[in-house]
Amino acid sequence: MILVDRLDVTLSGKKILTDLSLSIPDGVWSCLVGPNGAGKTTLLKVLLGNTPYSGSVTSNGEEVFRSHQRNVAFVPQQPHIPQGITVAEYVTLGRAKKDGWGNESTKSRALIAEILELTHLYGMHKQLVSHLSGGEMQRTLIARALAQEPELILLDEPTSALDLHHQIEVLNNLQFLQERGVTIVSTMHDITLAAMYAERIIVMQSGRVLAEGDAQEIIHSAELRKAFDDRINVFTLDSGRPVIVAKKDGK
Amino acid sequence: MKPEDKSVKPHGITPMWNWKITATSAALVILVGLAAISFGPINLSFAKILKSLLGFHGGLSGQDRTVLIDLRLPRALLAALVGAALASSGAVYQSVFRNPLADPYLLGAASGAGLGATIAITNTHGDIYRLLPVFSFVGGTLAVLTSFFISGKFFAEPQSLLLSGIAVGSFATAIQTYLQQRHSASLRPVYSWILGELTVANWQIVTWSSFYILMAIGILFLVSKQLDGLMLSDEEAFSLGINPNRLRVIAVAAATLATATAVSASGLIGFVGIVVPHLVRGITHRVTNRNLLTVALTGAAFLMLADLGARTLLSPAELPIGVITAFVGAPFFLIVLRRRRTVQS
Repeated sequence: MILVDRLDVTLSGKKILTDLSLSIPDGVWSCLVGPNGAGKTTLLKVLLGNTPYSGSVTSNGEEVFRSHQRNVAFVPQQPHIPQGITVAEYVTLGRAKKDGWGNESTKSRALIAEILELTHLYGMHKQLVSHLSGGEMQRTLIARALAQEPELILLDEPTSALDLHHQIEVLNNLQFLQERGVTIVSTMHDITLAAMYAERIIVMQSGRVLAEGDAQEIIHSAELRKAFDDRINVFTLDSGRPVIVAKKDGK
Repeated sequence: MKPEDKSVKPHGITPMWNWKITATSAALVILVGLAAISFGPINLSFAKILKSLLGFHGGLSGQDRTVLIDLRLPRALLAALVGAALASSGAVYQSVFRNPLADPYLLGAASGAGLGATIAITNTHGDIYRLLPVFSFVGGTLAVLTSFFISGKFFAEPQSLLLSGIAVGSFATAIQTYLQQRHSASLRPVYSWILGELTVANWQIVTWSSFYILMAIGILFLVSKQLDGLMLSDEEAFSLGINPNRLRVIAVAAATLATATAVSASGLIGFVGIVVPHLVRGITHRVTNRNLLTVALTGAAFLMLADLGARTLLSPAELPIGVITAFVGAPFFLIVLRRRRTVQS
């Protein structure tokens, strides 16, 4: 369980997160939604532990800032793709913390083979990461995060660069993990997808939390609409699945 | 991930470090080193050299022994040290700045050292060459520190450090050119120093430069495996247990120490810091810093070979070694680049 209590974050003199309190239960997929500039990415970096803050953010009772005890994986929205590195090598970097840099044991190589298979990358493990398509690259990033065998995985907009088919593929991979007890916190612009996969949704606006709770309840809440200045509509399909779309010209 | 999957053989997922490649480069260093101390205006026999070095009877004697011990050996060792220093700092700069064209002279080390040497040559009379390394070392280090100071927060933006390095470098070069023009009598010694030379090699220079260069390379080896993490974003590197900024400061400081020592011992020898790391990557198809030992060894062999060429091509006259490294390095580099592109596509 991660507890965030009265969190304030100021970066370069600008206040990004203000008096923010929330809780993130273990083994659950929580999704941060809200307009651009709401502070979602900053909150992810705070949860990772490499952004200074005031207030308290504890994971199982321990402050997270600069704590290297935890095993947290981070998948950035805009990755640095190194030139000349293969998929297998890139994914192997994820073992560095567990095995020590430069010591990928035989056991880890078997694990990496499994992860490559799980993420449908096995056949292309000798290809250069920089030559992959957007969907393959995103799967490679996630495979590297999986190689960490993390307790918590943080993902910044994991689907924003992908077409519809690849979005579902990546999210299914994450769901597979979550069903095996990994805690997931992601940001997502597509609230419809967030409602399909995440169990909890946290609504943010201007550095504050407007609402947090069960995804299906939050989707129909007034706070979600307020976060987007009432510029979204929430429809429910016959199957009961909610669909969220932006209003055009106020309609 | 079913239990039986544990038995899956990781087919084709090769280890990231290959000892055979490193062993080959070590063998190359020994071979080239032997050639470097054997060939010259006076050719010495391999067998006699080995006997002399290992302390057996029947080795070289008289003048030949003096040529070996006092001239060839320190010179080959200095070439090896400088080559290893420039090649490994180049590889480290390239990964720290995420820029394949980064070179060890990037942060102003070379221009600062050049300015220091020029100040020494133009403002003193008589035998300055003993103090030249001190002046150029101070100049190079000051220039790099200035670049850091100007760019403000150390690595808030790696690119801003690069830019301030370029600005400091141009400034130092401008002053150096001004001094050079005012003291036109010293034009020739300054110019030949800038082209790089190993003619001044003696045991004294080998001793002090090996101290700094081996220390710097040792530090780089210690952090080299973690440098792979800097290929990722800072958040990912942190999640893998790295403090990215601390790692960058350590790596750049050690690489700069190696570069400044190399420049002060042998002048400006271009192209080694770019050619050798890319050559090793081109042959091994590995971008990772786990090759640093291979890179250092290849750098040592490359520069000893270049120096051999510099001494023998126009014998008994000598070519500046920088001319050889560029003349051989540039076409070779292009071949590797082209080959790499073909392999990739």
